[in-house]
Parts: sequence; structure tokens; C-alpha cells
Amino acid sequence: MFGAATFHAAMAEVVVGSMVLATLCAMGCAIATIFPNIAGGRLSSERVMVTMDKASIAGALLGLVFMPIAALSGSFAADNVVNNALLYNKFVYTGLAFGFWASFVIGRVRLGPGIWQHRSLSALQGATAAMAMLMTTMASSIGGKLVRGESLFDIMPVWLPSDSATVLNPILSAVLLLMGIAALVVVFRLGPRAERIPLD
Amino acid sequence: MRPRVAVLTIIALLLATGASMANPSGEGDADRDYTCGGSCHGDPALSSPSDGTVTVSVSPLAFSGTATAVHVTVSGMSLSGNRLLGVFLLGSANGNDDHPEDHGWSILQDPNGGTRNYVEVVVPPSDSVTLTWVMLAPVQPGMQTLLTEIHHGSSPNSNNWAYSALTRGYVVDVQPVPENLPGFAFDWSPEARVTGDDSPTVISTRNTTSVSVQWMLEDEWVPHNAEVTGENDEWHVMLPATIGDTRIQYQVTTSNGDFSIVQPWLTVATEPAAFDGEIWGARIQALAFGLLIIAFLLSLQARLSPWDGHHELDHTEEVEATESPPEEPPGLEPADDYWSRMVPSEENPGWLWDPVVEEWVADPNNPPEGGE
Repeated sequence: MFGAATFHAAMAEVVVGSMVLATLCAMGCAIATIFPNIAGGRLSSERVMVTMDKASIAGALLGLVFMPIAALSGSFAADNVVNNALLYNKFVYTGLAFGFWASFVIGRVRLGPGIWQHRSLSALQGATAAMAMLMTTMASSIGGKLVRGESLFDIMPVWLPSDSATVLNPILSAVLLLMGIAALVVVFRLGPRAERIPLD
Repeated sequence: MRPRVAVLTIIALLLATGASMANPSGEGDADRDYTCGGSCHGDPALSSPSDGTVTVSVSPLAFSGTATAVHVTVSGMSLSGNRLLGVFLLGSANGNDDHPEDHGWSILQDPNGGTRNYVEVVVPPSDSVTLTWVMLAPVQPGMQTLLTEIHHGSSPNSNNWAYSALTRGYVVDVQPVPENLPGFAFDWSPEARVTGDDSPTVISTRNTTSVSVQWMLEDEWVPHNAEVTGENDEWHVMLPATIGDTRIQYQVTTSNGDFSIVQPWLTVATEPAAFDGEIWGARIQALAFGLLIIAFLLSLQARLSPWDGHHELDHTEEVEATESPPEEPPGLEPADDYWSRMVPSEENPGWLWDPVVEEWVADPNNPPEGGE
């Protein structure tokens, strides 16, 4: 048998690895759309774009599937006790990362690969992937701080806060959760319907 | 050219990991045997003699069960970038059962305010640090030995060595305690307080009829008298709250008419306030943030989407398509002009017949008599 911490480390590696691939490819697609002549136009060639698009959605899907497993195993590794701000922030950043990655995947699935043919949508997808990676990196960086007392991001001059946590009252969090669910219902059922963008 | 750059970058990243040590932030205060029981830094291939100087100051005579202080001064050693120093207080150097408590001692307070025999401290720029353990001497009289060991890093430290040094043994002659000697209770240890807490500090004693306490800030020279209340060996001392990095030291004098014993200086151990978050709060908050992010970004995607569809609830076009316009009466051509479809009537001069709505309309060119 092995401990929850070991399992969590393995799952976190799968998540981060997949997400790095997804982010690089998504950023590549976004850059190729916004700057079509970059790298002599090779980045925006159909073959490269299709490859990057598929790699980004595959990586994001894989990471998204393993993210709840990593979060749950991490929770068990911490004995289901949050006794410091670092650990609390790890949960919060994981939730934010999940939100960004889910938005990335849903957007790509709903609008299709044609999403990369529109500058504004392409920029939004690229920014979403970048933000998602930032949140994922923060969560994993906090893991390093908790286990080893150091992180590669210690050398960064400016970084997102992790030593102090904004702890919301659970009731307020529950209200926010209900608001989030209501907002999703509005977006999916009452809002403008997004359809697949036809490829040129 | 590019593959070379990529290979060089990867090699540089791999070499950069060499600058990182196994546990550069230390292991934290703990109860440990000599060289942590021989693990890691006990391996001669992973350690090297320290260049520091260690001085131990301890009274050679102690009465059993009474408080005694051990002062350890470490100076002049190389340090790693974070200037961390680990110091052991030991009863032997066998690699097992080396904790002073294995030899009958009881640690009342370690230099960091806890009750550990291994503590880690950040050495100030003066390169010298003095640590004080306050311990209750063993109940059994006899000759006792105390040793100290230090661990630290170095910068640079390409071999990832731990630098260590072990002092000689300092012998303490533990004598039987004189009858009725006042002192701390055997089961008492100083409580840690949360930052800002100024609640009374409880002190338990034995053979004591009165207690006086003096306190001062760590860098102060002149102590202040503290207010003490209580009786029957249970005393409440009013000490100021500790705020920030300030440390308060206090010294208890236990008296009973026959003896008056000045105890070693103790430190008010300050611990951070308990974290008020809990796991389900964190989970709900994380999920709420995640869902709000999803809702916001999906709205943005729909807003930026080039699809020119309509609102799902807006069925105006469908309704208009199903509703056909009113048919013209048979025999009549659709008139472009409203007045052109009017039919004059000789029987009703001044009036025109509208066959579409089937009503009489006043002729504006020939108004009916009476102005109607």
C-alpha cells in the first residue's frame, strides 16, 4: 500500500503535466490567430493549428479529469484538516484552476475548433488557459511549500499571495455557491445560445 | 542551432537543482537523538566538521527536581543563505535514548518556547546566538552529563554537506533536594499564549507560600514587577500581551519563609492565533469561485461568439411567420393609397365607402353638409 500523500503527488504530476501541454498549445493557437505571420506563418498553418488545438483540448480534458482525484487525495493527505492559510489557499486556487480549465474546455467543445479563427475568442481562450495555468501552478507551488518548505516560485520577485488567506464565512460561501449555480443556469438556459462556429 | 540552445537550457535547469539542498528550510523543532539517530547527516559522507565555536554554561550543581538553566552560545560558524542553525541538547551521544528526558531531566522550556531538545534558530548578523534550555533536574540524585550538538549549512555548499559539531560532556552533580525547598511543580510547564492575549499566566509550584515575578522585554536591562495573585501553590501572574516579534522574559521567585529560590528566566512563548478556516468552508469557497468563473467566462464566450442567432425566448419571427396578413375582399386590388380605395356614393354626397374596413368615411374634398 502507499500513503495518500504519495498518491496525491502522482496525481498532481499528471494534472500539472497535462495542463502545461494544454497551456502551451492554447497559447500557441492564440498567438497564431492574433499574429498570423509569426514564425513565417508556420505557427498558423492548418496542420500546426489542428495539432495544437487537439493537444490543448486533450491535455485540458485529461487534467480536468484528474484534478478532482488530486484534490481529494490531497485532502486525505492533510487528514481532512485545514489548519493554516497555505492549505486553505491551496483549496481556493484549486477551485479557481478548475473554473478556468472547465471554461476553457466547455468553450472549445461548444464553439468547436473554429474558436481559434476569431481573434477575440482566440485571445479569450489563450488568456483563460494562461490564468488556469497560473492558478494550477499556485496550487502546486503551495504543495511544495507545505511539504518541503520551499518552492521554485520563491525566487520570483512578485507572486500571488499564499501566506495569508481570505476565509469567507461558510454561509457566505454557500450563498456564493448558489449564485454560481444560478449564474450557470442563466448562462446555459436563458442566455444567448452559443453554437459551433463553422470553419472557413 | 536551436537544438543546441534547447539542450543547453535543459542542462542549465538540471544544474540549477544542485543549488538546492535536501531540507534547506530545516526539519523544525523536535525531540531527537544524537544526529537524529544517525540518519542523513550522521553519514560521514554527508557531513563535515563545523567551523563554529560552541560554549555551554550550566551550573555544576543542581538539586533534584528543581529548575536549572543550560545556556548554549554558538558563534563563528559558516551558514547557509537562510542562516539556519540546529542545536541539540543531549544526555548522551549513542544515537538512541539520547534525549535528556531519557536520563531523567524534564525540559521546562526550550529556547523557542517549546519543550524540545532540538531547536532551529535563525542566527543574527552578529554570527553569535545564545540559546537557553530551562530544565527540571532528575529526581534521582547522581552525576549527570549534558552535551550539545550543532548542525548548519554553508554557502556555497556544493557537496550538500551538513556541518556539525559535538561538545564534550558537561557534568552536573544532582544532589538530593533539601526538605521543604520551594520550586515549580513537577508537572508544570509554561503555557504558550496567542499574540495579543493578556490573560493571566498560571504557575504551579510546590512547598511555596508566596511568589514574586519580574518581567522584561528581551533586550531590556531593568525588570518590572508583575502582579501576582493566588494561593495553595496555584498562582496567576499578570504579564503584558506579546505583540509581533517582541519576546517577554519573566523570572519567578518562590518562597516559603525558610527558603527563597530565584528560578531561571523563562520566556513567554507566543504562538500564532489558531487558523479559523475549516475544510468544508475551503471546499465550498473553492467550488463557488470555480462556478462563478465558469459562468463569467461562458457569458463572455457567448458575447464574443460570431453566431447571429436570437434569444431562445424571443419567438417574434416564428409567430409572425405563422400569422398570414388579412386577405383583401374579393374583387378588390390592393391599394397603395388609402384614399384610392374609397368608393364615392351618389346617395350619400360628401361620404366615401371604405370596402376594407366596411365603413363610411367623410370625403375631405367634398365634406358632408353640416361639417360632419
